[in-house]
Amino acid sequence: MSVTSPLPNSHEILADAQASEWLKWALKSAAERDPIDALNDALVLAATLEERLRREFDLR
Amino acid sequence: MNKRPDERVGGIESTATGSPRFATRALKPTRGGALVIGRLAEHGRANYQYRADENASYYVKLLTSRGAKTLWGKDLERALTSGETRPKVGDLIGARRAGRETVTVTARRRVADGRIMTEEAHYAHRTRWIVEKVQFFAERARLARRLRDEQADVRETVRAHPELKSSFLSVRAAQDFAARRIADPKDRERFLSLMREAMAASIHRGEPLPEVRLRDPLRTQEASKEKPRPPRPDDPTR
Repeated sequence: MSVTSPLPNSHEILADAQASEWLKWALKSAAERDPIDALNDALVLAATLEERLRREFDLR
Repeated sequence: MNKRPDERVGGIESTATGSPRFATRALKPTRGGALVIGRLAEHGRANYQYRADENASYYVKLLTSRGAKTLWGKDLERALTSGETRPKVGDLIGARRAGRETVTVTARRRVADGRIMTEEAHYAHRTRWIVEKVQFFAERARLARRLRDEQADVRETVRAHPELKSSFLSVRAAQDFAARRIADPKDRERFLSLMREAMAASIHRGEPLPEVRLRDPLRTQEASKEKPRPPRPDDPTR
């Protein structure tokens, strides 16, 4: 038995009242860009945000 | 065939053919692995690496900033369901290898009617995990900083963080021990510094905080009121 929850697609996120405005804004903004560039930047953004989280909360 | 203690069968932990049974022998403390951070995407029981010929294990699938990552280990199930924060799918979590337990695996071979023909015991290692919401590790890092801070007002710190009481009591006990047993002031300082750092590092890693065990005053009183037992013939005469 496994516990799973598939990632929502962009339409579901935009309609989700629980999703943050920042995420919705990022999705809308990314939709206007080249998908390869947008994903590439998003991966850099995710790694950078993780670094910030680790630094600010001293997570090693 | 006897297996070496460090041999891994079926992934993170060793199992055996037949009816494996595990008995914990000892927990070997290690420095602990790096903290893996990611969004909990999926978890469940499965054969190691999803291979049909491997033994039963447990997996935790994370979406990290560097892609999907799957962790394997039988102890992951306990860590997820019995931890302090009990993360759910969708939470941002941290996972860390906390040490290894040596377990005894008993492999039993049975004949067709179910009777056990042979029993073979061997040792294997099982990785112990800490899996919690990421906020838990942030809080532990904060508590570790408090314990490391020798200038901090202990009473004030314990008031703000009662969960640190036992840790500070341990530090005080170590100070008393050092004052009585270690003559050289430099050695004393080094001992206390190492002890404080070891405790802070353990808290930082997310390992369980020591519990405060206070003597029960009622029980102590009752014990002191106990009547002396009647003399026995073989008691010493003086």
